[in-house]
Amino acid sequence: MSEAKSKLEIDRDRIRNSQSEIRNSKLIVFDDVSKFYGEILGVNRVNLQIDRGITSLVGPNGAGKSTLMNLMTGLLRPSRGQITILGIPTDQPEQLFRKLGYCTQFDSFPRGLTGSEFIKSFLLVHGFDRNKAEEFTVTALERVSLLDAGNRKIAAYSKGMRQRIRLAQAIAHQPAVLILDEPLNGLDPMVRAETIALFRKLAAEGLHLIISSHILHEVDMMSDRVILLNNGYVVAEGNIHGVRDEMEEHPMQILIRCDKPAKLAARVFDKDHVVEARLHDDRLGLFVRTRDADRFYLLLNEVVAEGEINIESIAPVDDDLSAVYQYLIGSESQGS
Amino acid sequence: MAVHEQTYQQYLGKLTPEWSRFLVIPRHAFRDVFRSKLFTAFFVICFAPLLLEAILIYLHHNVNALAILKVNVRELLPIDAFFFQAFVNVQAGFAIFVTLLVGPPLVARDLRNNALPLYLCRPFSRTEYVLGKMSVLLILLSAITWVPQLLLFLFQSYLEGVGWFVENLSLASAIFIGSVVWILLLALLSQAISALVKWRVIASAALLGLFFIPSIFGEAVNSLFQTRWGSIISLFALMKNVTAGLFGTFVQASVHYTNWDGRVGHEIIVNEPPLWASWLALFMVCAICLTLLSRKVKAYEVVR
Repeated sequence: MSEAKSKLEIDRDRIRNSQSEIRNSKLIVFDDVSKFYGEILGVNRVNLQIDRGITSLVGPNGAGKSTLMNLMTGLLRPSRGQITILGIPTDQPEQLFRKLGYCTQFDSFPRGLTGSEFIKSFLLVHGFDRNKAEEFTVTALERVSLLDAGNRKIAAYSKGMRQRIRLAQAIAHQPAVLILDEPLNGLDPMVRAETIALFRKLAAEGLHLIISSHILHEVDMMSDRVILLNNGYVVAEGNIHGVRDEMEEHPMQILIRCDKPAKLAARVFDKDHVVEARLHDDRLGLFVRTRDADRFYLLLNEVVAEGEINIESIAPVDDDLSAVYQYLIGSESQGS
Repeated sequence: MAVHEQTYQQYLGKLTPEWSRFLVIPRHAFRDVFRSKLFTAFFVICFAPLLLEAILIYLHHNVNALAILKVNVRELLPIDAFFFQAFVNVQAGFAIFVTLLVGPPLVARDLRNNALPLYLCRPFSRTEYVLGKMSVLLILLSAITWVPQLLLFLFQSYLEGVGWFVENLSLASAIFIGSVVWILLLALLSQAISALVKWRVIASAALLGLFFIPSIFGEAVNSLFQTRWGSIISLFALMKNVTAGLFGTFVQASVHYTNWDGRVGHEIIVNEPPLWASWLALFMVCAICLTLLSRKVKAYEVVR
């Protein structure tokens, strides 16, 4: 009886393991990863499971963003733990780099090459034959809107064009995972919008995009999830609104524009989750801080249904990445 | 939450063999190198001694030409081990200058521009990268050393006959091994210095210094201590001995000093270091270069 039971348990374990393998083959997995540079901490005890879509790495300088990216690309080996990219360990470059494209933040190009030669050369390094390399070069240049400038020397490119040609070389071999270190730096607003649209398109096609950026409002706009890093530790990760909801020590701030803010203030103030209710300077709005945004929105529904107060708009003031960054990292980085 | 569909198709077609991918590096490097007219002119000049060698071989077998010139080239300059060794040494000299012009920026430029991640985030290892960079020099230097000289050896064999070819096959191996050891040493040294020193001019100067300063120092040691062991630190002397060993012209007791002790003069015979010592010293230089390359050629420098 006990033998039969243990067999059943072994079978269950096997099924569980194979299910986990299948799941991991679609994820980027950090399993208790640490990286030390001698005695200096790069990142410590990172456990992450990154799904498809756009994931942004956010944190101040020295937080560990680049270390995390270099660990993902296998350019750095972890001091402890293991990383798998779609089920492939990062110490297997031949398989890994078929699926991974990396765009570094460094502005470095072999001398004298044109944009298309640059991309084609690295496709040849990847092992594509000349015809295929030619074809993929054109596709990559088209995707970053540089087809017309493909035959010009990179040395004559503007900063934005150089940024885009680097992006093109990262996507040229059709990877499933794209790691982009500060890809929006140096781009003018127009090109920046185009590039974000391209990221969204790639994500919609099923790619994993890992992006590091300092431009918080753009990260907020394009990311499916964020990973906040500080001093080598993952401070928070997930959907930004989910992260914000969990920050109970920082009540959510909501601005309600309405015709009778004083009456609304009286109505909300007796609720235990409302921490603060303050009239707006123009007397046409109420600024509320609440520990439970969901309950507060339900309350507002009731108010609207009663029809006494005419509510014009409801806007969360700090339900975005900038606010989360400020709460979790800002004070510390300022302090340091 | 965004909906992601797996609509893109990863390339699953045939790929080129892994071993051939490093050749992408020399292909671009050659174009860059030959863009300089000065270098191209110098590279052409490197073939002048080979042309002279070919002429001498031709004259050796052309009775009419010898009659016109009224000189006996056969007696004046016999085509033997010394003949080929001399030209191997001449080409080795040219190889140094080609290395000085081409070698220093190869790795240094990538390190300076943080371009290594660009190469190494591909199915491309550090070894393949170093091999690719070294092959730039290996191919260029082969083109002015052992390749044409083996062709000239075949030319001589063709004119002299199969018997001479069979009898002197060891010369062909000496040309090949001697030249390959030299160009391998040059390539490794220049790449190691290029990886250490990120600025071209300084790297070139360091490479030049590495050839000449130990040689001068070694000669000073030889003179002061009446020995030849000072040659063990001179790359020129090491290669001279190794090449002589390969061509079978190595004489260990080669130097006679006359030491004037007051008014009385007497002769001292000093021995060259044995061949195994020269080989060992070269091997150690190569090992140091490889160690340096493995420490410096990394995608990211770990700052401690």
